[in-house]
Amino acid sequence: MRKTHPIRRVVLATAATVSGVVLLLSLKPSSDPTSTSAAGAAPSAAAAGQASPQGGTGTAGATTVDGDATQTQYGVVQVRLTVAGGKITQAQAIQAPKGGTSDQKTALSVPQLNKETVAAQSANIDSVSGATYTSTGYKQSLQSALDKLKKASASSSGSSSSGSSSGSSSSGSSSSSGSAQAQAKTVTGQVAQTQYGPVQVRITVSGGKITKAEAVQAPSGGLSDQKTALSVPKLNQEAVAAGNATIDSVSGATYTSTGYKQSLQSALDQAGG
Amino acid sequence: MTTTLAGGRAARRQTMRRIRPRRSPAVPLLLAVWAGAAAVLWLWWDNTPSIADQNGKILNAGRITGLLAGYLMALVVLQMARVPALERRVGSDRVARWHAMSGRYTLCLVFAHVFLIMWGYALQAGKTLNDIVQQTVDSVNQLPDMGKAAIGTGLFVVIGLTSIGPVRRRMPYDTWYHVHLLTYAAVFLTFWHQITTGNDFALTPMAKTFWYGLYGAVTALVVWYRILTPMRLNLRHRMRVEAVIEETPGIVSVLIGGRKLHRMGAEAGQFFRWRFMAPGMRFSSHPYSLSAAPRPDMLRITVKAIGDHSARLRELRPGTRVWAEGPYGAMTASRRSRGKVLLVAGGVGITPMRALFETLPGAAGDLTLLYRANTTQDLALWDELSKIAKERGARLMYAVNSPEGERPDISAENLQRKIPDIDDHDVFMCGPPGFAQGVYEALRGAGVPARRIHHESFEM
Repeated sequence: MRKTHPIRRVVLATAATVSGVVLLLSLKPSSDPTSTSAAGAAPSAAAAGQASPQGGTGTAGATTVDGDATQTQYGVVQVRLTVAGGKITQAQAIQAPKGGTSDQKTALSVPQLNKETVAAQSANIDSVSGATYTSTGYKQSLQSALDKLKKASASSSGSSSSGSSSGSSSSGSSSSSGSAQAQAKTVTGQVAQTQYGPVQVRITVSGGKITKAEAVQAPSGGLSDQKTALSVPKLNQEAVAAGNATIDSVSGATYTSTGYKQSLQSALDQAGG
Repeated sequence: MTTTLAGGRAARRQTMRRIRPRRSPAVPLLLAVWAGAAAVLWLWWDNTPSIADQNGKILNAGRITGLLAGYLMALVVLQMARVPALERRVGSDRVARWHAMSGRYTLCLVFAHVFLIMWGYALQAGKTLNDIVQQTVDSVNQLPDMGKAAIGTGLFVVIGLTSIGPVRRRMPYDTWYHVHLLTYAAVFLTFWHQITTGNDFALTPMAKTFWYGLYGAVTALVVWYRILTPMRLNLRHRMRVEAVIEETPGIVSVLIGGRKLHRMGAEAGQFFRWRFMAPGMRFSSHPYSLSAAPRPDMLRITVKAIGDHSARLRELRPGTRVWAEGPYGAMTASRRSRGKVLLVAGGVGITPMRALFETLPGAAGDLTLLYRANTTQDLALWDELSKIAKERGARLMYAVNSPEGERPDISAENLQRKIPDIDDHDVFMCGPPGFAQGVYEALRGAGVPARRIHHESFEM
């Protein structure tokens, strides 16, 4: 029966809400120490593109070719193809739009585009509805990668530049990449199967130290995209910082972390031995 | 003609009960609500490592408002799930006010969320605030479950508009009520985009589980207490109109028969929502208080013919089937904390007071009933009240306008003169809003603490 003051209540509620939200926003740091520029939703986005003069780097009997980075309205798209025996065995986006809706769109479209590419063996793939810009950019970058591949095989220099012997990617291989820096060695760990998909780590070792760590395979699809985006950059950093496989798991991505550590350990074993 | 419906065994048993005041669970419930809101904010906090720029700030403000709106939406529905703890212990009136207040607030959050998110997305796509409409169209087309969410938000706009005070007052109650029922559809439609596009739910499976749990629990409570419980009640008790009796000009009593009605657990001071299966009445239910303690074979409501619905009650035929939901209301004997009780009734507000007057435990001299009406002719149920007063040794007073139409003076001084120890009373009060406000102030002036003035008001 106490008197109510509707106007006062409205003003108070509005003021409290607005100032609460503003306070929360201002308490957040403006830059994140843990996330890297590669925090896109595409699983392979953690692997920064390092193109050889020909646009190809070799791993495990297969050639990788990076397409041109294509600008779209929402950000850059860049495709990397893995080619073995003249066929595209894997397609991945090493750069894709990120942030806000783009994260979702990328997560939605890139895995599908990757699959379509492997199935079609050409740039003649369907766009993913709801992610038209990303699809278009993907196709352009894909086409440029295919063009490079054609040129490379014509001059027969692309595939021969990769000096590896081992066939199956799951056996783990160590190769001194032709495109690598002097004395730096790139070692790819064994594939570690996790509940959500395979994880495979590649490290670059120089002067006995890990100078770079990246995941060449990581779980993708649905939630896994986000988890991969969340955990892989962190794990990469940790691996470089620690110099060994005793790194912290990323909370919320335990399976991926465990797989990462296994693959990292196998890579370290190979690098050491 | 009057009817007497006094002296049931159940009523006598109620008068023998001891005074055991029960605290309203309002404070712990509100604390739980705040804790939940804090948890929701923490979820956002934990999943947001940093905010890069202005655009990020806008998007994150949109996320916070969206999360809070999603959380509160579940509670707004819960408040109307007719959960007994809310209806009978906190009080239907208070819960209804909470519902109105939090409903308005939640809708504001929803609209802020839509605006901020679309603005943020527009900026992200390199556009400006002016492109927000185009951005909204794009997002609805491209993102999962956003089509549903857009329809749901449209429904919220309609529901919000029809619930604005002046609009609602101009609308027939039934129309408003049925529009309001669309809330369930709107909540269902807007639920899915929270799960599929919400960053925090994608990143934190625990949060997703919790969200499903929250909405699942609310759905279960609504189905249980709004559908299954009334069905069971009505199948068990099979109520029908027995008779309609005109008490005074404009005030009618409806006697309702049924099976084992004392098993419904209704107490004096409570009400049911009644739906009479007669032409033009079956689609809406209305709350009317019991005007006598429930008997095993008979319930009684007494109603003043003011609205469409109440005017039609007069024409009810005996044998008409009755669908009741309840009992609801917290203005019962368990609110009382003292030995002495003053009941104040204004007009047809006598109905719950009449039932309490009969059943409130108390020795001779503990109970006083003050009955305010326009004229002595309007004192409905007076004969019954006199009889109860005589049997229980209670005081019965009335206050009517003078023959010249002058209002009686219900002031602090007058109350103190009539009831010298008034500050040692619990007061139960029922009447029209203006009257109740006046009496409340007089009672406070006479030294009755606010916590001992028990009143139900269905004013929003």
